[in-house]
Amino acid sequence: MQKLSILALGLLLCGCAAGPDKNDPYEATNRKIFAFNMAIDHLALRPTAERYNAYVPESARDGIHNVLNNLQAPVVFANDLLQGAPSRAGETAERFVLNTTLGVAGLVDIASRLGVTGHDEDFGQTLGVWGVGEGPYLMLPFLGPSNPRDALGRAGDAALDPTSYIRIKRHLLWSGVRLYGTVLDARARNIDALDGIERDSLDFYGTVKSLYRQHRQSEIRNGMPEITEPDSTE
Amino acid sequence: MQFQKSFMAGFAVVAAFVLSLGLVARPALAATPAEQYITDSVQKGMSILNDTQISKDQRKTEFQSFLLGLTDIQRIGLYTLGQYRRTAAPEDVTAFQAAFKEYAMAVYQSYFAKYSGQSLKVTGSYTLTADETVVKSVTVDPKKPGAKPFEVNFRVLNAGGRQVVVDFSVEGVWIRELERNDFTSYLGQHGGDVKALTTMLKQKAAQTK
Repeated sequence: MQKLSILALGLLLCGCAAGPDKNDPYEATNRKIFAFNMAIDHLALRPTAERYNAYVPESARDGIHNVLNNLQAPVVFANDLLQGAPSRAGETAERFVLNTTLGVAGLVDIASRLGVTGHDEDFGQTLGVWGVGEGPYLMLPFLGPSNPRDALGRAGDAALDPTSYIRIKRHLLWSGVRLYGTVLDARARNIDALDGIERDSLDFYGTVKSLYRQHRQSEIRNGMPEITEPDSTE
Repeated sequence: MQFQKSFMAGFAVVAAFVLSLGLVARPALAATPAEQYITDSVQKGMSILNDTQISKDQRKTEFQSFLLGLTDIQRIGLYTLGQYRRTAAPEDVTAFQAAFKEYAMAVYQSYFAKYSGQSLKVTGSYTLTADETVVKSVTVDPKKPGAKPFEVNFRVLNAGGRQVVVDFSVEGVWIRELERNDFTSYLGQHGGDVKALTTMLKQKAAQTK
């Protein structure tokens, strides 16, 4: 519900000002939200990620990363099935069983050590596999780059996640801790790469847009050959 | 007790299946010329990056000349200008290309230097057009054998018998495309001023060096 309201807010904020990029008709608004997100990142998220990397040992950070990944496995499994990929669903299930049991509640990614490597799937990708187009590029407050398909995908993933239905005390608090952990983990793991990209970019907004769109398209293809436009330099 | 037994039996089946995955030998296939070219180039590049006998500056110079031989930097530069290439004055395009070369060398160098100590293993290729092939590879980190590898792909052009790299990607993000989006986005914000772009590229190259 919370995600849906954020999505609605994002759509509302983006409902004005058309730019020259046909994939980014709301560029003027998107740029404002991007500036806001960057300010939040530089003020709070990046410094926290830096301290997290400095004070928490790598083995502990790896353990946290593995637990968060393992918690996501049921969502990946459901999306594997929805994409008609039973063998990939089998891999995900195998990883979940191995990592939850031998991997001590997901702390150790024992499955990867045994040769069963993981992959990501989400409902945004599933919609992409089903042929739903990405739609206009959207910059969501706090959540970063997206589009209507992937924003809807976030809500779909929450619906597919069994932990959404577990009735425990302070459910909202635990969900918040998990979301915050996921964001912090991703930011901390990519701190060097993102610093480098920001430093080398001339227009960081344009670079992030390209990164996001290309990466999502590649995730939807699952590494299969892409159809690229012909080389236009000649 | 019954549950425990059946769980253990199920677990044994899963474990046997997992172990069998590692035992199936993959048939050896002959590498295509493009694959061989990338395998050889990766080896050459890694040997420069991991050479501790030479100074840091020497390593940089050697790696940049290696990159210049590997890639068609003029072609990449022109591509990154996008639609602005058609409207820009020829002398502005020439100045841009010189600045782009400096920028790209500095940026690619810093990018690959991060991977020193690791290597790339060519895993296959697919044909894009009659002259172009995409060679696929994954990172191999000897320090972290269980870590999820990155996919690094190279777009190889056969230019009259000579192979050159015209683009490369990491985890599905093509660098030439990324630069084109970055530059055209900058130009869009600055009234299509290619001279301003060239000045910015020179600044960025100096910063990264």
